[in-house]
Order: sequence, then C-alpha cells, then structure tokens
Amino acid sequence: MSSLSLYTVQAVLILDQQGERIYAKYYQPPHRSDEGHQLLFNSVKKQKEFEKQLYRKTHKQDSEILIFEDHLVLYKEYIDITIYLVASLEENEIVLQQGFSAIRGALDLILNSGMDKKNIQENYDMVLLAIDETIDNGVILETDSNTIASRVSKPPTNEPQMALDLDKGFLGAWGFAKSKFQERLQQGL
Amino acid sequence: MSAHTYKKFENSTSGDLPDKMTIYQDCMNTFNESPVNSKRCRLLISRLLRLLAQGETFPQNEATALFFSISKLFQHQNDPLRQAVYLAIKELSGISEDVLMATSSIMKDVQNGSDLIKPDAIRSLTYVLDESTAFSAERLLKSAVVSRHPSISSAALCTSYHLLPISEVTIRRFTNETQEAVLDLKQFPNQHGNSEYYPNSTYISQYHALGLLYQLKKTDKMALLKLVRHFSENNSMKNQLAKVELVKIVNDLIYRDPQLFSQFRPLLSDWLSNKFESVQLETAKLITSFATRNSRLVAPELYAAAISALQSLLTVPRVSSRFAALRILNRISMVSPEKIVVCNPELESLINDSNRNISTYAITTLLKTGTSKNISSLISTITNFIHDVSDDFKIIIIDAVRTLSLNFPQEWKSILNFLIDVLKNSEGGFKFKNSIVEALIDIVSFVPQSKELALENLCDFIEDCEFNEILVRILHLLGKEGPSAPNPSLYVRHIYNRVVLENSIIRSAAVVALSKFALTKNDPTLYESIISLLKRIANDKDDEVRDRATIALEFIDSARNKDDVIAQNLIESKYFYDIPSLESKLSSYISSNTDSFATAFDVNQVRKFTEDEMKAINLKRKQEQIFNQKSETTLDTTPEAESVPEKRADANSFAGPNLDDHQEDLLATKYADELLSIEQIKPFGQLVNSSRAISLTEPEAEFVVRGVKHLFKDNVVLQFNITNTLTDIALDNVSVVCTPEISDEAELEELFTLQVDRLLPSEEAACYVAFKKLDEIVMEGFLNNLTFTTKEINPDTNEPFDGDEGFQDEYEIDSIFLNAGDYVKSSFTGNFSATFDELPCEEVAVFNIQEDLSIQEVVDKIILNSSCLPVESTQFAPSDSNSHTLKLFGKSALTGSKVALQIKMIKSSKGLALKVHGKGEDSLLCSDLVNGLMQ
Repeated sequence: MSSLSLYTVQAVLILDQQGERIYAKYYQPPHRSDEGHQLLFNSVKKQKEFEKQLYRKTHKQDSEILIFEDHLVLYKEYIDITIYLVASLEENEIVLQQGFSAIRGALDLILNSGMDKKNIQENYDMVLLAIDETIDNGVILETDSNTIASRVSKPPTNEPQMALDLDKGFLGAWGFAKSKFQERLQQGL
Repeated sequence: MSAHTYKKFENSTSGDLPDKMTIYQDCMNTFNESPVNSKRCRLLISRLLRLLAQGETFPQNEATALFFSISKLFQHQNDPLRQAVYLAIKELSGISEDVLMATSSIMKDVQNGSDLIKPDAIRSLTYVLDESTAFSAERLLKSAVVSRHPSISSAALCTSYHLLPISEVTIRRFTNETQEAVLDLKQFPNQHGNSEYYPNSTYISQYHALGLLYQLKKTDKMALLKLVRHFSENNSMKNQLAKVELVKIVNDLIYRDPQLFSQFRPLLSDWLSNKFESVQLETAKLITSFATRNSRLVAPELYAAAISALQSLLTVPRVSSRFAALRILNRISMVSPEKIVVCNPELESLINDSNRNISTYAITTLLKTGTSKNISSLISTITNFIHDVSDDFKIIIIDAVRTLSLNFPQEWKSILNFLIDVLKNSEGGFKFKNSIVEALIDIVSFVPQSKELALENLCDFIEDCEFNEILVRILHLLGKEGPSAPNPSLYVRHIYNRVVLENSIIRSAAVVALSKFALTKNDPTLYESIISLLKRIANDKDDEVRDRATIALEFIDSARNKDDVIAQNLIESKYFYDIPSLESKLSSYISSNTDSFATAFDVNQVRKFTEDEMKAINLKRKQEQIFNQKSETTLDTTPEAESVPEKRADANSFAGPNLDDHQEDLLATKYADELLSIEQIKPFGQLVNSSRAISLTEPEAEFVVRGVKHLFKDNVVLQFNITNTLTDIALDNVSVVCTPEISDEAELEELFTLQVDRLLPSEEAACYVAFKKLDEIVMEGFLNNLTFTTKEINPDTNEPFDGDEGFQDEYEIDSIFLNAGDYVKSSFTGNFSATFDELPCEEVAVFNIQEDLSIQEVVDKIILNSSCLPVESTQFAPSDSNSHTLKLFGKSALTGSKVALQIKMIKSSKGLALKVHGKGEDSLLCSDLVNGLMQ
C-alpha cells in the first residue's frame, strides 16, 4: 500500500567519478524517534558502503532509474559526477522524477559554467542551498527550478558593509542635524 | 602550515578542503570577529558544511561552541550570509546542545525577515523547537500558513508537518487555515526582488497543505470522504503532487472499507485520463492492486481502462514513466497475466530499450503473459535478441522460460529447441550455462516425451563443456534417465568418452552413471560391455575412480547373479528419503548417543518417497516458487521486497497452507516422530500417511486446537494439538471425546485415548485418539468435544493451588472428517490423458455449489480435499472465463494404486456446476474419492 506520508525522499547524493561522496544528505523524519525508518542509513559506514555499491551498479549504465537494495533510485550521470535521489519502493516514480529534475534544473541554473566536480566544490554553498530549498527533511518542497534558483542567494561579493555604514552615518547625521535644527526652530518660535 | 597552503585555502575557488581542526579554529575566530566579514563567514560555513557532509562530526562541546558563535552572526543583516547561517543551524542542531538559544533570533526573522529569509527561518524552527516550546510558534506558523507568498506558506506547512509528533494540539488549532491553503492558488509577487530568475508558481503548497490535512484527519473516515469530494470538484487541484496525494487518500479509504470503491468509480475513471502522468499512474496502481484483493468490486471496463492507461505510458519518452508503468504491469503479470496480453506489442518493443532495467522487466513480464497460443512466437522473439544481451540478463530470460516449460508442458518442443540453441551457440559463464542445464533437467523430469531429444543434445554438449559442476550434473541425469530410454547404448558411448578424456572428478561421476546401465531392460546386451568397461576403469590411476568402479562391479554382480535387492536398490534407487526428516533423525541420533553409537542408525524410520511422489513434491514446490518468485530468479535490480507481498492474491486459500512449505514439512515430521515414539502406538506399524494440521477452533479462541489425521495400515489416530491461551488457568486431564457422526454403523472401533495430564498457560500439548479400522477405506466424520478440569493457578508457584478440586468443563470444537483424500498421496504423471484412459475403473458424479465461490476457490478446496497433484498447471483457473477443467493425479497411500480425476467446472448465475470424472485402479477408492470430493 502506498504511503500517504509527505516524506518521500530518503536521500540525495552527489558522487564523483570514483564513487566518492561529494555531497550526501540522508533524510530522517524529524521528531519521530522510534520509527526504525531505514536502518541502513544510520551510520556513516553503512552510508558509504551503500554509496559504493550504488555507484558500481550505476556507473556507465545509462538507465536513469532503477531499484537498488529495496530503494527506488533516480540518477543522472554528468561528466565527472553523478546525482542520485533515493526513495522508498512505494513512492510514485513520476513524483520523484519531478523533485529530481527540480534539483537538476536548479543546479543547472546556478552553476552556469556547467555541472562538474570543480564547479560544485567551488560553489558548494549554493549547491547546498539549492538542495535544501528543494527538499526539506525528505519532503519535496518545490518542483520549479526557477523558483528554487531564485531562492538561492549568491555569496556576498565584497564588503559592502563599510559603504553602507558610511551611508547610514551620513543619513544618521543628517537626520540628527535636521531634528536638532527643527527643535531649535521650534524653541526659537 | 606553509604560507602557500594557507593561501590556497583562503582562495574560495579551491576544491580542496583543509583539515577539521583548521576549519574549526577558523570558524571560531572569524565568527567572533567584529565587524563581521560576511564573505569570509559564508565561505567558512560552506566549508564546515562540506566537512559535515563528508561524514565528519564534532564532539558535543565543540559543536555547541560552533553553534553559539554562528548564532552571533544573526546580528549581521546580510541575506546571503543569513541563508548560510540557517543551513549551519540545521546541520549542527543534531549534535549541539542548547539549540533553544537561537529561537528568539529565528522568530524575529520569521516576523520581519525578507521574503528570501522568511521561509528559511520558518523551516529552521523544526530543529530548535521541542515539546515544551512548540506552542510558542503557533501564531507565527498560523500567519505564515495564510501568507500570500507560496514559499512562505509551504515552509510553514512543512514545518507544521514536521512538528506534528511533538505538538499535535498546537498544529490542530490552525486546521481551518490549512484547509483553506489547499484551495488557495498562491502566486509569487510580481516585483520579485533582484533575482535573475523568474519563479513560476507550481501551487505546490496545495500538496503540503493536503498532506498535513490528511495527518490531522486521518482517523476520521467521514471527514476524509468529505475532503476528497470537496477537493476533487471543479478541478481545484492544480498541483500534480497534490493530485497524486488525493489519489492516495482514496486508496487509503478503500483499503479501510472496500465497499466505498463503487462510489469513487467515476472519479477514478476520470483520473485515469488526467493530464498528469503521475496521476494516471497512481490511479492505475490503485485500481489494479485493489482488484487483486477485491476482484468482484472492480468492473472489467475500469480495469481495462487502467491497463490501457498503463499501456500508453509504456510509449512515453520519459524513462521513469515507462519504468513505473512496467513495474505495475509486472506486478499484475504475477497474478493475472491474461489481463495484460493487450500490452504485448509495447512490451516487445521495450525489450530493446536502452535502459536495461526496463528491458529486464519487459521480458519477464512478457514471458509471464505466455499462453499456449503465443508461446512459440514469444520464444522466437527472444531467440532474436538473446545472443546480444549480457549474461545476467540471459539468466533471467532462461529462468522465465523454465517457468513457462513447467506451466505449458505441451509446448516442450519449441522451448527445448530454444534452450538447446542457447546452450550450444551462445557464449556465457558458468551461471548462465548452469541455468540452462537446470531448465533442461526440469523439462526432462517433468515432460517425459522430451527425454530423448534433450538427453541426446546434452550428450553433445558435454563433449566440450568446460565446467566440472555442470558435467557432473549432466552425467548424473544421464545415469538416471538413460537406462529407461529406448536406445541406452548411445549414452554409454558418450559417458565412456568422458572417462577417457576428463579429470578424476568427472571420471568418478561417469563411473556411477555407467554402472546404472548394466541392469537396463531396454538393451540386455549392454551388461557385458558395461562390465568390461568398468573392469578397465578399475585400473584407473585415481583412488576414487578405482573404488567406485570396483564397488559398482560388485553391486552389479550381486544384483544380477544373486538377485540381491539391496544391491539393486543401490544401483537404481527407487526411493528417495525425505531430506528434512532424515536430517532431524540424524541429528537427534547424534545428540542422544545413548550407547556410544553401538546401535546403528535405523534408516527405516525415515519417510521414503517413490520417484513419482518425489516429482510431485518437487513440481508443487517449483510451481509455488513461481508465485513467490524471489529475486534470485531475477537480477538484484528487481525488487526483493516487492515480490514477497505480491504472492498470489489468494495465497491463503491456494493449495492448502502455502505458508512455508519447508516449515510445514518439518512440523509434519515432528508430529510423526512424536507419534511413533508413543508406546501404545508402536504396534500399529508403519505410518502410512498424515494429513496437514487443520484448525478446529478460531485462532483467537480460549483453547486453540489443531487436528492431524494419521493413517496406519489397520488403524487411524487422530491427534489434537491443544494450546491453552488463558493466562491464569491450568487444564488437567485434557482429552478429546470423538463421537462418530453416524454412530450406529461405525466402521471404526475406538481403542484408547491418550490424555494430557496438565496443560499450563500458553503451553501446547497433543492428545491422541486411536481407532481400529474394520474396513480398508473408512470414511467418517467425528464430532469432537474437549473435556478437561480447570484449575486456577497460584501466580507465585505457577502451580495450581493446593486442594483446588477444579471443575469439570467441556468445550466443543469443530468436527474432523476422515475422507477419501486422506488415503491418497499426490503423485506425478507426465502424460495425464494417456494415464487417464488406461485406468480401468470409472466413476462420475455431478455437484452443484450454491455458495458464491469463485472457480479458483473451488479448485483450491478440491485440491486440498483430494490431496492429489494438479497436473498440466490446471490448478490456476483463468479469471476471465467461466469454465475450467482441473486435472488431478494421485496414488493410494495404502496400496499405491493410481487414481486420476478430471473435473469440469462451469460457473453461472445460479452457482457452480461440477462434473467429476474419476478413474482408478481401485474402484472403491475411486468412487469414494469422487463422491466425497466436496465434503
């Protein structure tokens, strides 16, 4: 029987061309202590083992979707990275596909110089944000890549802070002077 | 650290990551600086998160320190930095203490943050709140749920969803707002900030709201019904995920109450043509899986519509849609393959799909749809591409073909030719060749007509086979089947070639095989040649080969010249031991060790089967495997878990207890052992037959009783296994009083009853009632009464109170019937119609069943009642037809005389009509079996 839970996604992974982890996030429904949900994923060692096996199974196999160790896995291989989305067997494949293409689309948009390992490592914060804005604790939060991309902020470029403080200082001084001046005027009257 | 490497890490474009301590120190220093350097802070947070994503972790005190210094960054109003801060808070909240201290800063952001920050702030509430503080977020969450901004609303709904387990009361307070959010189509505000992307609302907050609403109302069936009705109107659901969720809610409702299905029918057929593939898919999944449970409630048109929706999904470009549709079709193919035959053209084209998982599913599904009509065309389709696919894929195909051969023995010719072709002409490893040989062995043993052709080709194959294991198996098969073939000398030549050419392992196997030809009746001249061959082999340089040859010579000599039965049996074994019982006997022999093994192990205690019986058992097992098809027959890309619950839908009723055959066997062996170790029963001699355990009470009754019928040559023993489920009552002197239903003409004479002296709570014990048969075949029904004395138990000693007299009580349990089926053992025949015609005695009977039973249910009942083996896979009634012919074959357990039944069934509106045509060697057994079939 298909589950009615919104917790559809079990993990999002990005592995490099050796099958080593670049990014991995295993989702566990928060505040549910005892559900025994996916024993597989509760230790880093098991996670890495799972990733290794998964990579071996999917590398150079252009199949996009498969069932692996009782999980439904959607994946996409790029030049030197592979992105995975892992879910339970009962989920609707097309719904998962929606979430998966949202992540891929958003990453495509924000990493405008291409999806590769170097780019992802260099813009790791943006990658994190993009995935976080797509999937929240296993719930698919958004499926429109443009929306996701628009919610990912670029790192602050320089230190605009000084100029801003200066501005504020001037304005503050001006405002202060103005109010004092008005006060004086009123007093003078 | 050198200046160079330090520089490297300063540069944000480097892909390398400094070590954990450096990152920690950097973070602690930089976050506490004033003024805050936002660019560097975000870079450091990103590194920290990368470290955590690698699987590194910090000790609690360090994590807490990090959390604390990161929360200082809240002072700085910079959105990009703030987003990173929220990410860090989420990651660290799991390992740090005192996460609550960030609550007020977050709440401030929820109220006053920019549109970019607000959803992040709301979502991070999940991590910092706990049972005691969750209520404080009520007002914030409520106002965020009704926000016009889709991201804010979604964030609030998701957070509420996450918080449900710890603060259901709080979340319930805004149920109404949630309900409104389902229908609210939120758009992004137009003047959207400074981003270069144009967000496009997918109305996904509908999905989140619906998910939350279901959780809030899931216990209330009426509310859910109303909800479905309300939201399915006017196309108010725009988001496809939300629509899928709605389908799932319907699924949940009909799962709880199947009668609701009819009222959803129009809605479902509407959804089947929905524009979203996901909705079509989910609806088709719902209908088909519901139909396996409640086939009567699903109209054939609706089912056909579901199948055609799936069919059209098979041709869409998107891989996951094809995959998903195939998964469902594959599931259906295990239960009712005839329903998806329409999809065969699509399935055939998918065999060449570039996605290997899809092609695997396609082929296995396709092969399951095989019927006697399309098998040969299927086989030729497969022949075209089997040489181009990888090894493990080939194995899947071979296994599927093997299944076919068991189900359609009459099609053996094309299947056999296919297998031989693959065996000879394709490259492949051990596993692949082994699976082919295994399939061939199956065909040879279950389809006798195929024997000659198959053996001949196997002989050719072993000429250049490189795998020892396979060679040995084939040699064994030749030795077993060859002597009874019309032209045994042919095989002898091939086998002897192995002796000349191969290594010692194969030579020894060949010797054993050769020796079996010495006594063949089909070609008496062989005796001389075999003897001379064996004599030559007796000089072999390998010990094992020499030994075997010498022993074989000795056996042949004593069997032929001295008519030694034991030696004959050793050469041509007529019996097979029941392996589970042999194992348990042996282990108990070893563990008991009463006289340091001075007495030899008595092999006669072990149950034996003749070859036909063995075949019957194997066939039954293999056919059952087809349904429970585990992934061992498919790749591990095909789900393991999936197939387990997808047994035949009617698994409970199918051919008796389908549970775990092995378990069942062991239990039967255990019962038989217990029985035969009882002093009073020993004089009855050999146990002839035992029935399966039958429940005589409801499983939740106070005393659970299961009955087993044991049959001896002149006696019958009824065994009652009684379980006391009461917690504080002991039963003393438990026995069962059996009264024959027709007392005056009882053909059974009660000998004795063995009672249970004391049955403590939650214990199980057996009590026996023994009878003497006056006739060979006695059929009788017994009314059974459990009699016992109840005694209350002293909880301290776990013994009844002293001086408690207890009081006498009775408990009526169901009747037990001794019927003709109990005198029959299932047996195998390769050619049913010929055997049927040969049998001399005949009996015909007609039955009418008024009850509303499906054909399959009746078939299962008959198989169980008659304990015969269904042959030619007639035990599966087609679900799309109103008539069926069941063919059963068995042997008398007492005399071994054959009996065959052919049962024609026709279902009409008035009920089910059966015409039973029985034939047998023993007229009495035949007529009893036929007339007692429906008892």
